[in-house]
Amino acid sequence: MIVCVAVVGHQNNPLYIQSFTEADDVLKLHHIVHCSLDVVDERVNNPKKSSPTLNETFLGLLYPTENYKVYGYLTNTKVKLILVTTDLDVRDADVRNFFRKFHAAYVDAVSNPFHVPGKKITSRTFAERVSTIVKSFGLSSAS
Amino acid sequence: MGREVSESCVESLVTEIVSSYCNGFYADKPELAARRIEAIGFQVGHQLSERYTMDRPRFTDHLEAIKFICKDFWSEVFKKQIDNLKTNHRGTFVLQDNRFRWLSRMSVDPSIETLGSIQDPSAMAENKAAQAIGMHLYFPCGIIRGALSNLGIPCAVSADISNLPACSFVIRIKA
Repeated sequence: MIVCVAVVGHQNNPLYIQSFTEADDVLKLHHIVHCSLDVVDERVNNPKKSSPTLNETFLGLLYPTENYKVYGYLTNTKVKLILVTTDLDVRDADVRNFFRKFHAAYVDAVSNPFHVPGKKITSRTFAERVSTIVKSFGLSSAS
Repeated sequence: MGREVSESCVESLVTEIVSSYCNGFYADKPELAARRIEAIGFQVGHQLSERYTMDRPRFTDHLEAIKFICKDFWSEVFKKQIDNLKTNHRGTFVLQDNRFRWLSRMSVDPSIETLGSIQDPSAMAENKAAQAIGMHLYFPCGIIRGALSNLGIPCAVSADISNLPACSFVIRIKA
């Protein structure tokens, strides 16, 4: 289950952060997202030269913690998309698929002429779309 | 989800933006009008670059980003690629379009051209025509600047008109 998703701007300013848990662990999730930003920077600044995935937008598993797995995605415009999940066996394809849809939703949200670049995304449509994407995550693999 | 935009509508809109800013809001302050038009272009470029770079790997250097502007970005916006790209390898790029779409329907009053530039009034009129065309190029300049700065390349963009409908855009990257 996805517990948290976040969009972080190019100056590491939060643009959108949303948790999907009943429990009172919002701060903890925000902390995890915050920590993941350092890992993103590290990945981007010291890329493994041999890796075939050089400069790919999908950064893969950033780091596993006890209960969570954190995945990252960095767009061409230096916007970071972060995903925190509690699932232990996640398929890479599912995560890629999720990020592709999430990115599309983000692009649509910032293409709104009333959206101010660099400010938080307050669009309700975007929030609804993200929660639909989150709910559908991993459903294809279950069936 | 290919969404289409009527080309003639866009062209009319651009022309109308320019004329209302130049003759309406800021009739006596052409520099201010230019700045406002450029700012609108900036926002458009900013948002377009977000969309058009969606499915591609990240750019490693400036040249790659400029090439993206010349090829994919230009084909998306103007249905053709930039014809010639020159660079001095020190942060200045010249993008030449031999048939810039937004200038292809524009003409200079022929009575001005045939008179030649010997007489002073006609030279002035020609100068005025160049100025009017220049006004229409602030919007595409803003688009380029917006797209590049969203890709993390702060720059200044200016335009040169050689002979219609060819024009070139000069990009100076700020170090």
